[in-house]
Formats: sequence, structure tokens, C-alpha cells
Amino acid sequence: MTVAPITDDLSKHHGPTPTLLPLEPGEQYRFVFDASVCVGCHSCEVACAEQNQLPPEVRWRRVGEVEGGSFPNTRRFNISMACNHCLEPACLIGCPTEAYVKLSNGIVDHHAEDCIGCGYCTWNCPYSVPVFWPERNVVTKCDLCKPRLEQGLTSACVDACPTHAIGIEKVDIAAWRADHSQGDGLGLPPASLSLSTTRIVMPPNVPGDLAGASHEQVELEDPHWPLVALTLLTQLAVGTTLATALAQTAGGIASGNAALVAFLAGAMALVASLGHLGRPSHAWKALRNLRRSWLSREVALFGAYTGAAALHAVVSLAVPGLAPWAGFGAGLVGVFGIYASGRLYLVPARPAWDTPLTLVQFFVTATALGPLVAMGVLPDRELGQGIGVVLLTVALGSLVLALLALAANALRLASQPTRESWGSLSLLRHHCRWERRARVGAGVIPVMLLACALTTSGDATRALAGAAFVFAGVGESVGRYRFYVTVVPRSVPGRFASNGRA
Amino acid sequence: MNTNRRLVHRLAERLGAPVPATQFGDDATFGPMPETAVPDRWVATTCGYCSVGCGMLVGVRGDDAVAVRGDPDHPVNRGHLCPKGLSVHLTLRAEGRLRSPLMREGVTGRQVPATWDAALGLVARRFTNLIAEYGPDSVGIISTGQLVTEEFYALGKLARLGLGVEHYDGNTTLCMASAVSGYKATFGSDGPPGCYEDFEVADVIVLWGANVADNHPLLMPRILGNRAATVVVVDPRVTKTAMIADEHLAVRPRGDVALLNGVLRVIIEDDLVDDDYVRDHAEGFAELRAQVLAIPLDEAAAESGIAVNEIRALARLIGHSSAVVLAWTMGVNHSAQGTRTVELLNTLAAVTGNIGKPGASPFSITGQCNAMGTRETGFTASMPGYRAYDDPAARTELAALWGVDESRIPTARGRAYPDIIDAVITEEIRGLWIIGTNPVVSYPNRERLEDAFDRLDILVVQDGFETPTTACAHVVLPAAIWGEKDGTFTNSERRVSRVRKVVEPIAGAKSDFDIFLGLAEHLGVRDELFPGWSTPGDAFDEWRRVSSGRLCDYSGITYERIDAAAGVQWPCPDDGLVPLGGTPRLYTDASFASGRARLAVVDAEPMSEPTRPEYPFILNTGRTVEHWHTRTKTGRIGVLDALAPEAWVDMNPADAHELGLRTGDAERVSSRRGVVDRLSVSVTETIRSGELFVPFHFDERCANRLTNNEFDPISREPNYKQCAVQVERSGLGRIG
Repeated sequence: MTVAPITDDLSKHHGPTPTLLPLEPGEQYRFVFDASVCVGCHSCEVACAEQNQLPPEVRWRRVGEVEGGSFPNTRRFNISMACNHCLEPACLIGCPTEAYVKLSNGIVDHHAEDCIGCGYCTWNCPYSVPVFWPERNVVTKCDLCKPRLEQGLTSACVDACPTHAIGIEKVDIAAWRADHSQGDGLGLPPASLSLSTTRIVMPPNVPGDLAGASHEQVELEDPHWPLVALTLLTQLAVGTTLATALAQTAGGIASGNAALVAFLAGAMALVASLGHLGRPSHAWKALRNLRRSWLSREVALFGAYTGAAALHAVVSLAVPGLAPWAGFGAGLVGVFGIYASGRLYLVPARPAWDTPLTLVQFFVTATALGPLVAMGVLPDRELGQGIGVVLLTVALGSLVLALLALAANALRLASQPTRESWGSLSLLRHHCRWERRARVGAGVIPVMLLACALTTSGDATRALAGAAFVFAGVGESVGRYRFYVTVVPRSVPGRFASNGRA
Repeated sequence: MNTNRRLVHRLAERLGAPVPATQFGDDATFGPMPETAVPDRWVATTCGYCSVGCGMLVGVRGDDAVAVRGDPDHPVNRGHLCPKGLSVHLTLRAEGRLRSPLMREGVTGRQVPATWDAALGLVARRFTNLIAEYGPDSVGIISTGQLVTEEFYALGKLARLGLGVEHYDGNTTLCMASAVSGYKATFGSDGPPGCYEDFEVADVIVLWGANVADNHPLLMPRILGNRAATVVVVDPRVTKTAMIADEHLAVRPRGDVALLNGVLRVIIEDDLVDDDYVRDHAEGFAELRAQVLAIPLDEAAAESGIAVNEIRALARLIGHSSAVVLAWTMGVNHSAQGTRTVELLNTLAAVTGNIGKPGASPFSITGQCNAMGTRETGFTASMPGYRAYDDPAARTELAALWGVDESRIPTARGRAYPDIIDAVITEEIRGLWIIGTNPVVSYPNRERLEDAFDRLDILVVQDGFETPTTACAHVVLPAAIWGEKDGTFTNSERRVSRVRKVVEPIAGAKSDFDIFLGLAEHLGVRDELFPGWSTPGDAFDEWRRVSSGRLCDYSGITYERIDAAAGVQWPCPDDGLVPLGGTPRLYTDASFASGRARLAVVDAEPMSEPTRPEYPFILNTGRTVEHWHTRTKTGRIGVLDALAPEAWVDMNPADAHELGLRTGDAERVSSRRGVVDRLSVSVTETIRSGELFVPFHFDERCANRLTNNEFDPISREPNYKQCAVQVERSGLGRIG
């Protein structure tokens, strides 16, 4: 069964690289890692980097450390992991361009020519395996040394391991699906998340208090500024469209200006989102995976919404009677867009995001900012009464809800004992201290301003609503920045010497 | 280059061109490789980092080294390499190579490019003038363990006979001098008796102060492969090696002598002594017996931190086994009592009969790739061929071999490395030539060393790369590095292996061999010392004659034989009786240079700088697998640098809790001698409360700003492993 055997007699095992056994139906290749003989030499990482000509910031195989017990009876293990060539690869399922293919021999293969460098797979993988390669503008990952495998050779890492801690072997897919318990252990994310196929050979007497050596080291993630812009602007746009349609229905206004603002915000969001991609000129490929990827759906829905918002703006000017219908139509598409946009953050690999509260946050941003934009174009007579009061009330309620959602997520994180939850909370508290004050300040101030606005009318209302919009905008922007930077992804255990990165 | 490529890629990307992925080509031997790294030819050579001496094949494409693989047929490493070896080809064209001799300009004080002729002329003139004015003890030379044997042989002759300086030593004094002194004390000569095969056939493997997994990774397959053996690690830390051992004894810092005396006591008490061996081949047993029986076991336990029952267990394990390899490295050597500890390890091997048979040896795993070569051929601790300075017959013999007057042969060893530095401080030594080493980072008590350098009339530094030490030099000589020159290395098991020129020296640099010959030319001694020499092979031929009849006998070793056997272990006399691969073990017939093995009687000495309230921690320093010495090479290789980019300090959770520190906090560590700021704290149970560990590789956060300039009185090896330090909350935030 085993191709590169974890032999009992390592000293005798120094012949040529073992050749791979052919696969039977229902089998695939996979890695096996024996933690009891890994000495943490990192040769596998360097061999991998050399074979695949990886730059230093890109590593397809990583060696982490886990520790338990107490001195001098400390137990510490190295854990060398590359791609687990999962049976249900989260990278593949989420990829909007279908750049990933599960080959018949089990390799989860990534096609760079189809990749647009959106990085969604890097969020989806519970092991943080796919990694963006800046020079090539695409994501890349371990392909089990496919060119070597095709010649019956094992991968470079297996070949380089002096103690034969890494091997490639065959696995019976159905049997592994039924029992993948040997894929767990040593601080790894549970194999069940994506049916990781890597088999872990555990050393004897592993202590129960095992934790990654980088357990306490968490660092800020990329802020993804284009995505801060994309999410905020789409939410502002959709909220504005709906508020405008509401105002138009109530007969308060017929102005096309607010609809135009919504359209422009939507269009800017789409342009901004291109900045997130490694290969923006291939952005259209993001529509390929509507069947499975929330990212594909988000792109399609926001594209459709922006078109509908344009129509709404035109109709508002040309055929005011139909404006509410056009507005609610566009708004409905936009709501689905926000839903898809939020859903794509609900991934098990990123626990801080993986909650319905993320959806709540996204929607309340829309319902807080949109009405305030619409307020700007309401005629004076509507301020302080009728639809004006409705819009103010919705905005006020939404801002309160936004703060509650934040607090609820903090409580949720605090209640989970995992490194990812603890780490996110710690980053929120310590690393983003100024941003936290800004977020809370810019969250509370507009609530107070709007509460005052409800008791006034005319220019005073407009001024207060305008000020509230500015503060709320700042608050939401800082909040969204914090949303991105404080997420702690699931990954293989890290290593202290590499600043906690595995 | 990189920036341009990136720009091209960006442009191509905007135009919608396909993303260039790694294209694979096919190599006849190793299968698919990146197309740009498929070599035209593979050159067999030996790794230039540590002393394991791994055989490797370097792939050459055009004029560049593009790939490296472990040599599958090499007996040492059997096709595998460590991460440093796997990327060693990248050192050849790494940033920071020196490409021209540099001379310090009088007015500006800047180092400016000069011709070789001008630079060597100046060096010859300044050193000659100093010696003429102040005598032969006014110039010192500090070399390395990284040159080829042929170069060491040439340098020794040039230093002592050509320049005529008295004080010549190597950085090997910073790593294995205690092993040399210990071997000399016990057996009358240097020379590690065992071989790597001993790890595979021993019943018990004791790794004393040896973190093999980090420092000699390619010995691990042999240790792990010997499933029948009990592996014992004696180390104050739970190292990577301790993690895979059957038993780990967390000895207290400097508790080694107490522990060894305890073990010896139990062996004698329990009648586990190999009486025949001691009677026939050892001396001093009565004194040893009296000494160790006078030390109660609970005293040994208290001093060593190892419980009485554990001491007994270790002694009985060793005493009842038929083949025990006692291997050590810097945990033993880097101590003010290093030599005496080595003597006790030798003594333990002798009283249990664990010398000269398969699986049984007191075995120093040495440090640098060719520390052994300089020990054999150099003119440092011994004269070439392990000849003693105070042996008149040896001096007569050397004078005859070289055709020089006997008065030219030195009668005493000059100052050892630390004493050279001390003499620079007292301005007795005014000129210093440093070859292939980086004392600014590697020498204990950095501030004191930098002060010494400031006092020199002339500092000449010869190296392949810009280093903090070349920055101090008046004259910089750019040397070719490993991979750019030919010769031989000797590894820890006395295996002589070929080192080959894989690519031409980088433009502007010369091989150390050519630099030595060039300087000899300027001194007018080339024809006398190096008659008819043009290649390292000429030096090797002479060295074979000079070593003939000595313990390190090379007379039967030729380059062709080395190739045929993939390395030849000395002694290898030219008598046709030695197997092709040479002699695996010394002392199989217990014929020691000293006649009998001299058993040692050693009292444990306390640390000279114990903790005190201002400095409550004992600092231990050492290595990590990704880096070599002062990162002159490995710090410049992206993949290795990314694996361990910064120094850190390991701290027990109890201490961290008390100081209110968490993993990742950046704090200040200080000793009486200096301060290291922004050391990232790693909270770990791998270290005892009250002790700290900092890797010493890093110039930026240099552990040797803290260490103490205290030395073994016999070997002169620094006591790098224990000094008292303090950790202060610097409030500088966190790293990462």
C-alpha cells in the first residue's frame, strides 16, 4: 500500500527514490507524515522551493512546531505540511474561475492561466495552503510535484527528507471518506472540514495540552483596501437605491440625483474591486463558477445591480412614475448581491467571519448609510416629518444594530476557546487600539446626532443628518478595515522563528 | 534584474499575456527539474558548511551553478542534504560578494578599490616592517575552518616560516579546541577515534551537549535508523535532538563534570569497569577511583540537576552495554572547563572499554567543514601532522622534509585566538590578518573586540563576502569561496573528500591558495616554501609526504583514490594494507601516542559568572538549523533567511509570567558587557526556569554582545554557554 514506506529500518533505506505504485479504481495519491521521525531540519521546504523556483515569500510546504508538557518532560513535535489534496477541496469549491481541478490521481491542481488572483481560495483553505505569488499575480500551491509523479517519482519534499518522515502513498477514497481520523492531530484543523487526505502518523504518548509554538503569535492580515471600498460602496449604493425608491413611493421626492449617486457608488465599487485582483484584465473569468462560488454570484449580482441602478437613475429622470418600481427592482438585486457578498465571508477557515453576524453587519451598513444619502436630496418640507422621519429612524436603528452586532461578535469570539477566536479578539483589543476607539466613537456619535435630528426640522435636520453620515461613513470604514485585518485564519501550526508563520 | 522581471511581468499581465509558470525540463539523473535549472553537467563535491561532510552534486548550466542534490552514492549522507546544503549553490552569486581588493584611503578613511599587486604589496610591506620594528610577536593571524586542506597547509608554512609570525591561530579555537586538548591529554594526540557507522551499530548512543538535529542534521538518519540503540541526550534544553531521544537528562548549565563524576562513581561502585582494558591500556585508575568515590552521589545530583536514580540508570546503561558511542559537541567544548570535560568523557569511554571497536568511541563531532584539515596540517595547536612544538625530533624531521634550517622551525605554539585579541588590546600585536572568519559577530564580548580592532596599526581581512569584520579592515582581500576552488576537506570521521571548483571565482576574487602564493611572492619566499607549486594538488602531494608516518597519515591518499572510494579515512599509509576507503577507527589495538590512556581526575568548577539579583538569568547560546555561523552566506539566501530572519530569546513560561511577557514581545536583554534590544521572546517549556537561550548567528541582535570573554585555561576555548543576564521590559511593543 505505502509507496515511500515509513520504514522501520531507515539506515537500510538509501537506494534510489521509490517508484509509485499504479492506482486502482477508487484510489488516489496522498502525503503521509510521520511526526515521530521528523527532526525539523526544513530540508523539505527548501527542496520544494528549489524544485518549484519559489520566491522566499511563497512556500508550498511549511514546517510548524507544536509543544506540550512541562520542563523537562516537554514534548515537542515538528509538523511538515503541504497541500492535503482534499476530497472536498475548499479552494476548488470556492474558486470563482474554476482554476482548480481535482485530477483522477487525487491531485488538486491549480491552473494559473485561469486564475485571476482574487485570493478567495486562500480564505477558504482551512490549512492556508494556497498562497499568492506576487511576481506572477496569481495564487499558487503544491501540485504534489505532478511532473515528477508523471514519471513515477515521488515529490521533491519526499525525496529530500533525510529521515523519511514524508511519503506519498495510495488511499482508498471511500474508506477515507468513512474514517479520516488519521488526518487529525498535532494542532491541525479538523480533517473533516475539507476531507484532507494527508495521513498523520502520531508519535506515542502525545500530551493533551499540545499547542502550536506560534500559538500566541497572531499578526494583522492584509487590509484588502479594494475590498473595503467594494463592500462599503455596494452597501451604500444598495441602501441608497432602496431609500430612494421608498421616498419615491411615498411621493416625497422624484429626484434622480440619489439614484444617480447609487449608480455611481455601485460603478466605483466594481472598478475598485479590480484593484483586488492579481490579473484584473481577466476579471470576467470570475463569472465562471455561478454553480458553486459565492464570489461568482457576488460579481454577477453586483454587476446586474449596477446596471439596474443605472436604469433607475434614467427612469427617475425620464419616467418618474415608474421610478419606484425601477428602484425596488434594482434594490432587490442589490440585496441579493449583499447577501452573496456576505456569504462569501462565511467560511470555516476564518472563524471570525464565519457567522450570520457578518451578514447582519453588511446589511446594516446599507440601511444606515443609504437613508442618509437619500436624506440629502429630500425637499425641505419632508425633513422632520413623513418619509424623512422614516429614513432617519431606519438609519438610527441600523447604527445601533451595527454596534450591537460588533459586540455580539466579540462575545461570540470570547466564548470560543480556539486560537483563531482568541487571536482575533486579541488583535481587536490590542493591535487596533486606535482604530477601536475610532470605530466606537464614530459609531456612537452619529447615533446621538440622529437622535437630535429626529427632534428638529429643516436645515438643522439636514445638517445633523449630513454630519451623522460623515461620522457613520468613517465608523463603517474603520470597522471594515478592522474586519479584514483582525481575522485569524485557520492554518497548520506555525513556528516561532518565522515570526509565527508556518 | 528582479525589478525588471517584475515590470515585464506586470506589462505582460496588462496585455493579457499568459502568466509564466515554472516550466519543467528533464534531467537524466534526477528527472523533472525547472527548465532553467536543468544542468549541463553535475560536479561531485563536498558540502562547505559543517563537518558532517556530505557528498553533493552541483548542477552547472553554462557558467552558473543552478542546482544541488545530495550524492546518492556518497557513504556519508546517502543522497540527502540539510536545508543549508540544499541551497548552497545560491551562495556563489549571492549579494555582497567582494569583487576587488580594498584599501583604506588616508584622507577620507573610506575603503577604495585597489589592484591585487598594490594590496598584497602593502600587506607584505606593513607586516614585514612591523616584524622588523617590533619583532615577530607584533603580528597575528586568525584563520578559519573553512578553507581546503591544501590552503591550510600553505598558510601554515607561509605564516610561521615565510612571514615568521609567532601568533597564528584559527577560529577553530572557538569551536573544537577543547576536543583537541582533551584528546591530546588522554591519548597523547588529537584525532577523533570513531566514525559515523558507530551510530548505526552502537547499543547506546549518548549525545552529550550535542544538538545534532540542528547542527549536524545528516547524522540524524543514522541515529534514528539504529532502532535497537538507546539514545540518551544530555543537554540543559529540550532540543530537537532531545525530542527524539529515548532519555533526556536536563543537566544544569556546567553540571557536566559533576554528572560525569557521578556516573563514573556508579560504574566503579557497581563493578562495571572493563578491568582488562583498564589494566592493559589505561593509567591513573587508582586516582580516579579515589576521586569519584570521594564525591557523594547526592552531591553530584545536586550539582548536575540530575537525580541520583537517573545518574545510576545512565551509568548502568553504559556499563552493561557492549558498545557505547559517547558523542559531544559545543555543549561540552564551549566551556571554561571544556578540556577537562572532554578528558572525563574519554575516561568514561576508557574505563568501560568503549574505544576502538564498532559502535564504541569517545567521538567529537566537530564543527566546520574543514576544522579537521587545519588541525592536521596547520601550524596552530600543533605543527603539521600533529607534531608537537616541543618535540625536537619532529622539528628536525620537518626541517629535513622542507629543506630549511632547523632554526626556522618554531619551538612553541604562539598565542591562541583569545590571547591574540588580548595582545591587540595591550598593543603588543599591532598587525592582524583575519582569514575567512567574522569575529565581530562570533567572538565573545563584542564591544571589547571592536575596541581591540580600533587599536590596530593594520587590520587585513580576507573573505568572500562583505561582513561586519571586513568593514573594520584597512585592507580587504576578496577571496573565492567554496564552489570556486579545488582541494580537500576532512570531516568529523577523518574522511578526506574532494572539493571541486564548480564555477570560476567571481570576477576580482582569487582563491585563498592563490592569495597565499601571491603574498609569498611579494615576501620573496615563494620558491623556497612553495617550490614549483601552481595548484592545490602540489600542496597535497607535499602534505602526503609530510604526513607520512604520522597518525594522520595521508601518504596513501590520492585524489584518484578519494574519487574511487567517495572519501578516504586517515590514517592511510602508502603500504597497500589499508582498505580502499581508509581506516574507519583509531585505536583498534589501543596503541595510543601516550602509550596508555591517561584517566582524568577532575573537580567540578562553578560558573565564574553565576546569577545575581541584577542579572538573574543564565544565558545559553547556540544555533538553529537554517543558519551557518554569522549568516555571512545563509543570511543572503532568501529561503533560509525567511525561515529564521531574526534572533529570539527562549524563556520558560514561569519566568515569562513573572515578567508579564508573552511570546512575540520585543524586549531588552543585557549583561555586564552589553545590551541586545528588541529580542523577540519565545515562551517555551523547552528551557528551564532561570535560563535563557539566544541563537548567536545574528549581527543585528548579536548574542555575543552579552557573552563573557572567559576561556578554558588549556584549550583557550570561550565559555559561550553560560553568562548572567537580565531581561528588561523595553516597552518597544511586539515583533511580527
